[in-house]
Amino acid sequence: MFRKLLVALISFAVLLAACTPSATPVPQPPSTTGPLPSTTEVPSTPAPTVLTFTDGLGRTLTFTGPAQRVVSLAASNTEILFAVGAGAQLVGRDEASNYPEATTSIPTVGGWSGFSNEAIVALKPDLVLAGGINPPELVAALEQLGLTVYLLPNPATLEELYTNLETVGKLTGHIAEAAALVESLKGRVAAVDAKVGSIETRPTVFYEFDATDPTKPYTYGPGTFGDLLIQRAGGDNIGAHLNGQWVQVSLEQLVIANPDMILLGDAAYGETPEKVAGRPGWETLSAVKEGKVFPFNDDLVTRPGPRLVDGLEALTMLLHPELFK
Amino acid sequence: MSRLSPYLLSCAFLTAAILLSIAIGSVFIPPTDMGRILTGWFFAASLPESLQTFAFIIVSIRLPRTVLVLLTGAALGGSGAAYQGLFRNPLADPYLIGVASGAGLGVAAALSIQWPYTFWGLLAVPLAGFLAAMLTILLVYSLARLGKTIPTTNLILAGVAFSAFATSLTSLLMLRSTGELRRAFGFLLGGYTQAGWNPVLTILPFLAIGLGFLVLNGHTLNLLQFGDEQAQQLGLPVTRAKTIILVAASLATAAAVSFSGVIGFIGLIVPHVMRLWFGADYRRLLPLSIIGGAGALLLADVIARSVLSPQELPVGIVTALGGAPFFLWVLRKAKNQGYW
Amino acid sequence: MLKIEGLTVSYGARRVLGDVSLEVNSGEVTALIGPNGAGKSTLVRAVSGVIPLKRGIIRTNGIDLTALPPMPRARHLAVVPQAVSLPPAFTVWETVRMGRTPYLNFLGQTSAKDEEIVRLALQKVDVLDLAGRRVGELSGGEGQRVLLARALAQSTPILLLDEPTSNLDMHYQVNFMELVQGLAHNDKLAVLIALHDLNLAARYADRIALLVDGKIKASGTPLQVLTPELISEAYHLHVKVIPHPFADVPLVLPGND
Repeated sequence: MFRKLLVALISFAVLLAACTPSATPVPQPPSTTGPLPSTTEVPSTPAPTVLTFTDGLGRTLTFTGPAQRVVSLAASNTEILFAVGAGAQLVGRDEASNYPEATTSIPTVGGWSGFSNEAIVALKPDLVLAGGINPPELVAALEQLGLTVYLLPNPATLEELYTNLETVGKLTGHIAEAAALVESLKGRVAAVDAKVGSIETRPTVFYEFDATDPTKPYTYGPGTFGDLLIQRAGGDNIGAHLNGQWVQVSLEQLVIANPDMILLGDAAYGETPEKVAGRPGWETLSAVKEGKVFPFNDDLVTRPGPRLVDGLEALTMLLHPELFK
Repeated sequence: MSRLSPYLLSCAFLTAAILLSIAIGSVFIPPTDMGRILTGWFFAASLPESLQTFAFIIVSIRLPRTVLVLLTGAALGGSGAAYQGLFRNPLADPYLIGVASGAGLGVAAALSIQWPYTFWGLLAVPLAGFLAAMLTILLVYSLARLGKTIPTTNLILAGVAFSAFATSLTSLLMLRSTGELRRAFGFLLGGYTQAGWNPVLTILPFLAIGLGFLVLNGHTLNLLQFGDEQAQQLGLPVTRAKTIILVAASLATAAAVSFSGVIGFIGLIVPHVMRLWFGADYRRLLPLSIIGGAGALLLADVIARSVLSPQELPVGIVTALGGAPFFLWVLRKAKNQGYW
Repeated sequence: MLKIEGLTVSYGARRVLGDVSLEVNSGEVTALIGPNGAGKSTLVRAVSGVIPLKRGIIRTNGIDLTALPPMPRARHLAVVPQAVSLPPAFTVWETVRMGRTPYLNFLGQTSAKDEEIVRLALQKVDVLDLAGRRVGELSGGEGQRVLLARALAQSTPILLLDEPTSNLDMHYQVNFMELVQGLAHNDKLAVLIALHDLNLAARYADRIALLVDGKIKASGTPLQVLTPELISEAYHLHVKVIPHPFADVPLVLPGND
């Protein structure tokens, strides 16, 4: 008898839990209109063109005008905003946003260890620009608070990057500047392609971005921009033949592969060519012996923003200095 | 101490913690404005424009967060007391038989899938954690069962063994994952990733049932302190009683963990403190641990939200850093009193 | 009174108690003696219902106790186990109050009558002045008496004791056994007590049952059971039995002639 009561109670609880969701507002997939209604009166002139977007989470969003107060939740988004000329519209950023200089004066709303919803709300943004790096729960939470969130998906190719730049241009009312930026970037990339097209050899490259364990450092595998840009810059990424995007390479494999050049993406964490030369077993690598170990700004190949092209150019200069004489 | 004062004291503590949790956040709301907002509500007056954002923050962000933390803390405190009573072990905590490691495995597995951005898609990860936790309990219970009895030693052994297994599987999943490592790690360190009222409404029925049953089983837990044999000789149907307590405590813990991640020390320390101050009678210890757990976790959450503001420190780190020295102090005092 | 018929207990393939039959009368102390491993403790625990029986019936006044669930069973018989590892944080009063469990609701709420019964039990066993003390602070003898009080609070006609005097020193042993004897003779309880000490059994028991290898080897008055032949064979030791110097009971002395 007691047991039956227990089973009944538990079943009831499960039913109750399954039913309660309908009592709360569900983040609606269909359109949310921005900007947030505030104290400005409704304009009497006919409404400007309505823009419709589909963001990285597959949601359709419509806007009646460019965003004026933007909060960026990813460093790459911050860079893009400044690059298309929307820096003045940025009112909040994440703590990792450190480029360009001007960002440091903008208040932060969170970072790798979570975001403060109330700080974001307090800034009264009409657009929150999230990135692939932000979890969907964050987007849902901000939406439930009535904010308009657009998730800019992580690009996998340079073309997708250009699309992102144009999207941000449309969102912030800098369409022309975005287009000009894309043209300029395309031009620079074409220039690199032209130079690289004339090379005879492709040096093999080991790009290290984490060497916490010096016998098993991490490198970029296929599907990452690190890999893509190295290839485009006329190099052969050792990680290209491995499985996974962020892969470990053992020291033994490295010795066998014996790359022509080693790039230290973890230079920001204190790795230097001297330290590398001092690692036991690394002194046998030709790159170390010939002094072809160079520090590299990892942001230039990881942040999915316009500086990827800077990264491409930097890589080309390192890999084929002869092209620039 | 009078019979009433433990409850008064604990409720006062909880109330203070609730107020603190509502008053503190990464956006500084001046006390005068807070006062104006509260009086505005009290007299149902409409608030001036300037205070509306603050009011919105309090109602839509801080209030649901406060309630969620309160509930998960209550679950941890209550089930911690129940587990300590059930296993007659001062080191028992709500994760003893594998709820945390099971939930962690479920969460890590769920995080490796890209869920659609829908209501159920967003609920998928906590739901996976909850289901995995309950499956763990079922598994451990079946492994430990010996004929008609469930010896507590078997439960602990089965739980520890399964935990080791689940933890290593989780580590493997995390190593092989690409971007989700950080989110899985965040779960294991304890923290609140979901906001709004949905989490509260989702876990409320489970907590109500789980904690409700526990509070009603205070006398049963007292009897179990004498060992299974003596408890049965005194008239308790031991296997049935232990099963109910186990299921109730695990239900509450699993529901809490799915939304709060693995937060340690609350379930371990709060019952000890309550026992030290107010005695070992479980009829009182359970409700007091529930109230105390809620208050303690609220305090820890306030600290977690303030220290790195606007970022948040994982709550589990705060409870561990604060809890460990506190625990040692409690243990010292307990040894002096010879109460365990 | 308590009637044990054909009790058989096995741990897996190993038979621990084989076809044990015993009668414990009200108003009498029946002592259960035998070498270690004979099954004394097992018998007491089996009768109390915490060990499953392979075969056998336990009756009291016609009621089959083996068919009863724990709660009603606990109204018929109460057990005094050895006072080892008692929860130290409960007070003496709280511990004795646990004895009222078979008569309380599942919340454990006691009435004034229950509290009075607890007080009487404490008084009878002479631990009333210890009522507010934590059990962890008590001596072995005091703890054992508290358990006796708890069993008394259970208000049962049958009392089972499992080697309660094994860890007590002389003073407390005698003290305790006098209490138990008084309960049987004055309050007419049916008392079955497993004892380690043969002379205590001789002194305080009305009937003795000798258990060897899970079987009742002999049963009767102390004089009948405590014979040199029976005891020497059971304990694998030559013993001498002489009349007790100042009590009308036998005295067993280990050692050879």
